[in-house]
Amino acid sequence: MDFDMGESVVELRAGLRQLVREHIPPDFLGAFTDNPADLEIAQRFCQILAQRGLLCMAWPERWGGRGASVWEQTAVREEMWAHHEPRGAQYMGVNWVGPIIMRHGTPDQQRQHLPAIANGEVIWCQGFSEPDAGSDLASLRTAAVRDGDGWRISGQKIWTSYAPIAQWCFLLARTSSAGRKQQGLTVFLVPMDNPAIEVRPIASMIGPQHLNEMFLNDLRVTEADVLGTVDDGWSLVQEVLAYERVGIARYARCERLLQWAPDALGEEWDRLPEELRSRWARMQVHCRRARLLAYRVVATQEAGRVQPGDAAAYRIAVTRLDQESAEVLSEMAEAAPATTAEGRRFRAAVDDHWRYSRSATIASGSIEMQRILLARTLLAAS
Amino acid sequence: MRTELGESALEYGQVVRKALEAVGGDELAQAAAAGAARRAVISAALADLGTWELDPRSGADELEAAAAACRAAGWWAIPYPVAERLARPAGLDVDALAVVSATRPAVPAAWLDIRLGAVMLDGRRWLAAAALGGAGPVAGHGSQAGLVTELELTAADEDGAGDAPLSLVLAAWTLLGMLDRAMTLTREYVLWREQFGRTLASFQSVQFQLTDAEVERAGAEELAKYALWSVQEQRPDALADALALRLATLEAADVVFRVAHQLHGAIGFCDEITLSWLSRHSQPLRRLPFGLSASRDQLTRQIGREGLTELFSGVGQR
Repeated sequence: MDFDMGESVVELRAGLRQLVREHIPPDFLGAFTDNPADLEIAQRFCQILAQRGLLCMAWPERWGGRGASVWEQTAVREEMWAHHEPRGAQYMGVNWVGPIIMRHGTPDQQRQHLPAIANGEVIWCQGFSEPDAGSDLASLRTAAVRDGDGWRISGQKIWTSYAPIAQWCFLLARTSSAGRKQQGLTVFLVPMDNPAIEVRPIASMIGPQHLNEMFLNDLRVTEADVLGTVDDGWSLVQEVLAYERVGIARYARCERLLQWAPDALGEEWDRLPEELRSRWARMQVHCRRARLLAYRVVATQEAGRVQPGDAAAYRIAVTRLDQESAEVLSEMAEAAPATTAEGRRFRAAVDDHWRYSRSATIASGSIEMQRILLARTLLAAS
Repeated sequence: MRTELGESALEYGQVVRKALEAVGGDELAQAAAAGAARRAVISAALADLGTWELDPRSGADELEAAAAACRAAGWWAIPYPVAERLARPAGLDVDALAVVSATRPAVPAAWLDIRLGAVMLDGRRWLAAAALGGAGPVAGHGSQAGLVTELELTAADEDGAGDAPLSLVLAAWTLLGMLDRAMTLTREYVLWREQFGRTLASFQSVQFQLTDAEVERAGAEELAKYALWSVQEQRPDALADALALRLATLEAADVVFRVAHQLHGAIGFCDEITLSWLSRHSQPLRRLPFGLSASRDQLTRQIGREGLTELFSGVGQR
């Protein structure tokens, strides 16, 4: 056994923390707040990462990356999420939009999109969910109809994060009704400044930019906007899910906030109910458990034999951790002094964590879908 | 990073499991109170495989092999103190070592015909002997009857600081073997048993219970590997890591055995069903040296304000 990630990862972490200290204000709670300055901070930070070759480390050298190891990628995920994801919405372009365009894009699409993502200049959104197609994504009805040498797309998307600020959309639409519902879907790469796209933000408890409606009113696209093969979009969606298997490193933020609590509370820490400190200790064990379950997936990824059940088990553990730790931290935050800057920052960070964690068991594949996946693996013929 | 046991340890675990099957398998648990002859058979089978020659303190290979052997012993719930024998300490003239609590020193074994040492979390070590009641050795109560021996302790030394983490971790690997088995038995049962014209496995409520139990089991497995590595590296946090493992394993055992019984229905309580024996044999390991709440208390005290040593230790605020 060896749970040491190695010197290169230690150095990478130290470097990332230094950059965060230098460029991200201590009260930063993510790019998507009511203060537009936060988005600017994130955009600037992405460019700083890009200049240092840290934004797309995992990419092949040909596309501006440096073929980072899966453990280096893991460290980046952990450090960024722990510090309220100062890359803002860019992680999506970096983590899977870019890699999928590398695999399935035409040379023109690659030239157009990959440098922009690698330089941290562009924000993508994902046009998947619809009012009647959530977990059952293949039931989506947004239709792309042939029109001369292109297509006309009409329909409605929902929950589309970052849609108001995105320049591009990775859009999934139905191009055929023949066959199974998973067939006849196609991915289009669509510019968001087209007037046929109307975005309406949805006010929510998890903050601005996260939830939006997107209406496609006879949007005209060309053959050059199709990614991959027409009617074969479902296989691309499966690839997206594969890239997102480990997903965001939720455990890292939980852990950082839990570790911060004693300092943030100062003398009040000793006056906490003993049972609350005991729950705090238990949450740290659950953080470690989630982290190690993530590492199990990463290790199999490294060996090229990922089991979908392993990824599902991790996601069940980490999303529950997110919510349970938020409850423990919220109780602790009540005791944090409102008279000190650190106490106030801790309170704000915990409140943000609590609000966002409500969606943990729903976003990027609900916990029920993860259980179905895990059950399938467990009950498969051995 | 290497997050799995080595190939040779995994193979060794398989060999131990097969050898124990050959000398009785599930019958071993059912004959917990059987005589010295059965114990001798178990001991000899493991001696043939070199189990008693393993020195888990000598390095990663033998430590991993010891963990795999404990897991195999847990699979069959064998009534033999494999983990205790493998944890035998240096500098104390005993054949086996168990972590005990001051409030109720006891060992999860029905008899003592080996020289047993005991260690507490603070490193104090003791020579242990079976406590004698009015009618002979006190051998547990309730569902632990016949599976536990209460101990009388004689102080030996205070040199056991490194002993407790190893003992706790090997005991956790034994319990992990029981969880593996409980999940396997339950999976097989729900795939076989039909109600309303369908297998139980086809009901989503059954599937979801199974997945919740598996998440607990899998999480305990990962922590078991991590704590083993911590012992191997003699990390200063090895005791906290072992207590964290104990807490997670006890939580997992609660969920796994509850789900296993629920999905087996009434048949799961019957003596003809392995789960019934496995469930009873898990009890001493879950209660000794201390149960869930006491384990959490111990961990909370051990880590203080510092918390477990993790990615963000000491850097929460910036």
